[in-house]
Amino acid sequence: MNLEDIIQETNTYYCLECGKCTSICPIARYDPAFSPRMLIENALLGFEDELVFNQKLFSCLTCYTCQQECPSDVDFPVFVRKARSIAQDNGQHGICAHSGQLQSLARLMTSPDIKQRRLEWLSQEYRVSEDSDVLLWVGCAPYFEPVFEDIEFRALDITEASLKILNFLGIEPKLLPDEKCCGHDVLWTGDEETFKKLAQHNAAQIKEAGVKKIIFSCPEGYRTFKLDYPNYGFDVDCELQHISEFLAEKIEKEGLKFNEVTKKVTYQDPCRLGRHLGVYDAPRKVLESIPGIELVEMEHSGWDSICCGTSAFTNCDSYSNLLRIDRLSEAVETGAELLITACPKCQTHFRCAMVDKGKEHRPTPKIEIMDLANLVTNAIGEGGNVIK
Amino acid sequence: MSNSENGRKSVLVVGGGIAGIQSSLDLANMGFKVYLVEKSPSIGGRMAQLDKTFPTNDCAMCILAPKMIEANSHPNIELLTYSEVEEVSGETGKFTVKVKKKASFVDWSKCTGCGLCVEGCPVIISNEFDQGVGKRKAIYMLFPQAVPKKCVIDKREERPCKAACIDACPVHTNVPGYIKLIAEGQFKEAYKLIRETNPLPACVGRVCYAPCQEACNRGQIDEALCIRDLKRVPADQWNIEELEVPVVAKTDKKVAIVGSGPAGLAAANDLALQGHSVTIFEALPEPGGMLRVGIPEYRLPKEILRQEIGYIQKLGVDIKTGVQVGKDITLEKLKKDYDAIFVGIGAHGGMKLGVEGEDIPGVTEGVGFLRTANLGEKVDVGNKVAVIGGGNTAIDCARTAKRLGAKEVTIVYRRSRAEMPASGEEVTAAEKEEIKIEFLTTPSCFSAKNKKLAKMECVRMKLGEPDASGRPRPIPVEGSEFTIPVDTVIAALGQAPETDFVKQSGVSLSKRGAIEIDNKTGVTNVEGIFAGGDVVTGPAFVIDAVAAGKKAARSIQQYLNGQPLEGEGPVKEPEKFSQKEIEDRKRRFPSRNKVEMREEPVEKRVQDFREVALGYSLEEALEESSRCLAGQIEGCIECHECERRCEPKAIVYTMQDESIELKAGAIIVASGLGLYDISSLTEYGYGKIKNVITAMEFERLTAASGPTMGELRRPSDGRIPENIAFIQCVGSRDFRHKPYCSSVCCMHATKESMLAFEHHPGTKSTIFYMDMRAVGKRFQEYIARAKKEYNVTYIRGRPGRIEVNSKNDNPIIWYEETTSGEIKSFEAELVVLAQAMVPQITKDLAETLGIELDENGFVKIPDKFIQPLDTTRPGIFACGYVHSPRDIPDSVTQASGAAGRAAEEITSLRSQGGN
Repeated sequence: MNLEDIIQETNTYYCLECGKCTSICPIARYDPAFSPRMLIENALLGFEDELVFNQKLFSCLTCYTCQQECPSDVDFPVFVRKARSIAQDNGQHGICAHSGQLQSLARLMTSPDIKQRRLEWLSQEYRVSEDSDVLLWVGCAPYFEPVFEDIEFRALDITEASLKILNFLGIEPKLLPDEKCCGHDVLWTGDEETFKKLAQHNAAQIKEAGVKKIIFSCPEGYRTFKLDYPNYGFDVDCELQHISEFLAEKIEKEGLKFNEVTKKVTYQDPCRLGRHLGVYDAPRKVLESIPGIELVEMEHSGWDSICCGTSAFTNCDSYSNLLRIDRLSEAVETGAELLITACPKCQTHFRCAMVDKGKEHRPTPKIEIMDLANLVTNAIGEGGNVIK
Repeated sequence: MSNSENGRKSVLVVGGGIAGIQSSLDLANMGFKVYLVEKSPSIGGRMAQLDKTFPTNDCAMCILAPKMIEANSHPNIELLTYSEVEEVSGETGKFTVKVKKKASFVDWSKCTGCGLCVEGCPVIISNEFDQGVGKRKAIYMLFPQAVPKKCVIDKREERPCKAACIDACPVHTNVPGYIKLIAEGQFKEAYKLIRETNPLPACVGRVCYAPCQEACNRGQIDEALCIRDLKRVPADQWNIEELEVPVVAKTDKKVAIVGSGPAGLAAANDLALQGHSVTIFEALPEPGGMLRVGIPEYRLPKEILRQEIGYIQKLGVDIKTGVQVGKDITLEKLKKDYDAIFVGIGAHGGMKLGVEGEDIPGVTEGVGFLRTANLGEKVDVGNKVAVIGGGNTAIDCARTAKRLGAKEVTIVYRRSRAEMPASGEEVTAAEKEEIKIEFLTTPSCFSAKNKKLAKMECVRMKLGEPDASGRPRPIPVEGSEFTIPVDTVIAALGQAPETDFVKQSGVSLSKRGAIEIDNKTGVTNVEGIFAGGDVVTGPAFVIDAVAAGKKAARSIQQYLNGQPLEGEGPVKEPEKFSQKEIEDRKRRFPSRNKVEMREEPVEKRVQDFREVALGYSLEEALEESSRCLAGQIEGCIECHECERRCEPKAIVYTMQDESIELKAGAIIVASGLGLYDISSLTEYGYGKIKNVITAMEFERLTAASGPTMGELRRPSDGRIPENIAFIQCVGSRDFRHKPYCSSVCCMHATKESMLAFEHHPGTKSTIFYMDMRAVGKRFQEYIARAKKEYNVTYIRGRPGRIEVNSKNDNPIIWYEETTSGEIKSFEAELVVLAQAMVPQITKDLAETLGIELDENGFVKIPDKFIQPLDTTRPGIFACGYVHSPRDIPDSVTQASGAAGRAAEEITSLRSQGGN
């Protein structure tokens, strides 16, 4: 793939250099060296080296805010992704956060000799079944625990909450013991080869499992299966849903009712669930169906929601942190007691930002964070029921 | 020339904007007949909405108006405004076109464009010509320079009720009209509207028996409107003493009015407004008649009456109190000194019981009792009061006696509750105040003890066959006598007119002493002497007296002008809903209960004469008035106010759409431009952020004939902004909305920024653009002037988002300054969005015309280079914005081109001998 092809495929030629993308780009607001328009301009002017060897090429969050408004239909995130492919071919891979652990994990998994013990966390409390035609995709959650111990985030809490919800609704899902990383991060950082290997493995696993529906608690896995796998020819031929969509459907079609949970909350739309997949209403429907929950929207919400500041654990820097702090301020300003997220990455990044308490004269905004699935587990039990 | 030939030598022009007008004039001057069809009531199009035009900044209307007038008066041009093309058949050279002339409900052959109708219309709606910034009425003229200068009525739906209220009201007050004005918070206008038919709104709004409420059609689906309670709202919410006195040319005629009750006051009001010199002679020391001395303070405070009588005096009416005609001055003297006389002395004579012992001190008569109490003179009531009678007077006496200190008050009435003439509300109020009512009871005699009234003997009655009044005759029940201890008895049996003094002038009286009149005109048998009210009818209601006074005033006016007396026209009976209509209305309108009038609590109110009804609060008034069925619809509510005011009688509510057929040899499509709805660009917050407006709204704000008379005031607080931002390409050059460039926005934004500076020197304007398209003659110089002389700055960058500074409602623009790559925010006081412009031709119209549109909705031009004005259908040509985005001079140029093409098409066919 060369730059000329990428420009053709992503409509980049139509760019009018109007600057709309840059004026709303969340990371450009903080990082003066990052400008979507400049990246495009370099490409159009044929300055391939300026593009490919620019560290900032890996700063784009691929959050899709720019593409919402681009009057010329330039698919900037895909442009960046493909440009990053060229960059990878030239030995560029951005600045990997956390000493590159997450990227290494993904690449390790491409080895066919890897044996995983990824379901060791599964306790008797949760019921799973080999015969179910519903699969719960676990994703990287088991691997996150050691990496993010220092920020006291256990991604498996979300997985367990999802299991609890499914069990409560009478579903004992299948779990795959040999899931591999969905490949989201490697794809978005331009490593198509690794991605294809992972996708091939996962698609085969799903086919073998013979399931009809896959439920995700991570929007990145969800998006990757829904949009990217088919694009690369790995269609899994199943119904795909985020846990929030699954719940919203139950509420609407089967009259699912919840117990009372009295909390004032606000909601962070994950980029991959919101702008990438257009799912804005389902999580809100779930929140509004819990009696006692008062949902107050942040200043920027829905399609206008602000990204949590880092994508693919790459180029996470002080600008990412500033962005997170401002976003947390917005959350605190709503007066909410809880910030509800629907993506383990969003939660990771916000928790990280809050580790540093800041200074007395400039304290870091602080708010309790919880995944939607965890909130819902508080609302089910003896009181909550399914009305048939 | 044969008819078919004539048809061919004519052209249909669709669209009366500047392009359509130009084509029409060119063709007409060449000798062709032109039908200029325009869907709005006037030609002029978008140019009429503009304040100025670029690049000269000349006034748009000054250039447009002469063209419009020329088109209107050209013998070869037939204007068909408020019309739409319905069908086109045939082919080039011989098209047959059906045009629908929409019903304007105004007969344009009579309408003079005077606008009196517009003043009276109570319906206030958003004005599309002002892009929703301003308001207009349901009857309106599109703009002041409209051609043709005619009004149209915007009637969107049929009125959901029969307006039975208007028919039931003795003076036919425009009830739906004033209720609508109240619902819109227009209290002064509502008061003025009521005063057109009734000079005492606040008084009548307290005491009227409200036949309108009986008839109210809403009462057939849930509860009738509290029309009377709403009638006092304008006087409650607005200071009626601020009502201006109109300037009226004075005549040399003098009119004497005997009696200052509602009949006399109404006659005086109307005659004074005609310019006559009016004097009222009032026997009592205070004016007002029964309003003053009959109805107690707790129902009608004297201060309210004083204010409304005061206004009538401000009109020049002289009220001489303490002068009794027939005693202090004769009727004959009045006949000599005045040109006409109205007698409205009411019926103030009380009636005797005809019962033994009625001469014992303590037995009094009701009318006199109330008069004494209402004039503030001392009245003695004991502790045990009995009031004989069942009318409103009896209730007034009872409730007054209670307030004067009586411990026990009983009303004694000879029939049952159902026959009681008093209003149900009054009876309920009395019972709440612990006044007992002994039904089917009549006193048979009174007896004294120690020369003071002590006992009243009564006998029970039963109801027999109906008597002359139609009510069951009460018959005493044998052996049912009983005694009620009393120390005061008030007989409120009825009132009689005291009319002996008119006999001297030959005025004929009935057996009961009432003055006889011609019911249609109010004139007595003596020329020049008129009468009305209780003196004619016996005791009736205030509004009946008002109606009689107005009727007599109308006749007096005709008499003074030497015209024959014509009474009122035929009276329309109030209509009711059919059962089907009731079911339909119940479905359409959710049930809503009436808003009850709050009253002073009983224990407190009986201790003094404070007004019992508290009046609606503002919220209550708005809620109750919003229940009116007529007002539920958008547009004209058929309240007939315009019809009342139109002197040439041009209003025709029953007008129907009309379909006409024309023949044309060619057709020119010049339907102009529409404005894209940019609320879909949510990033700019149009529709949510108050101070973000469109370019056309800005244009209306600076236009001298616009909603703010040319003052550029921003929406949130009406302040004049000194820092304005213009954002270009909003919806244009955007694949998500309109991919093309709208062509004129760069220039009109520059123009608007210059106008802002002219209106308010020092104003700073910033234009956010992608490219500045200045492709015309002197356009680039225009932009240079803006930068140099008008404080305009141009920033290259298309903003991504507009937020709001909640402290001052200033919009904040986020943009990237592409020349430097810096991301910045810009706070302005007003943001003007250059909204995309779209071709104004619907798919339906294109289909009707049989022409194709391109993917952006512009008229498809198959051969852009050789025949650039030809559409896909031979014989049909297009010009102006509907053809492609262009400014006024280019539209006019194309229009002349289209005229040339049409002429060429027609004449070449004819010269070839084609049919």
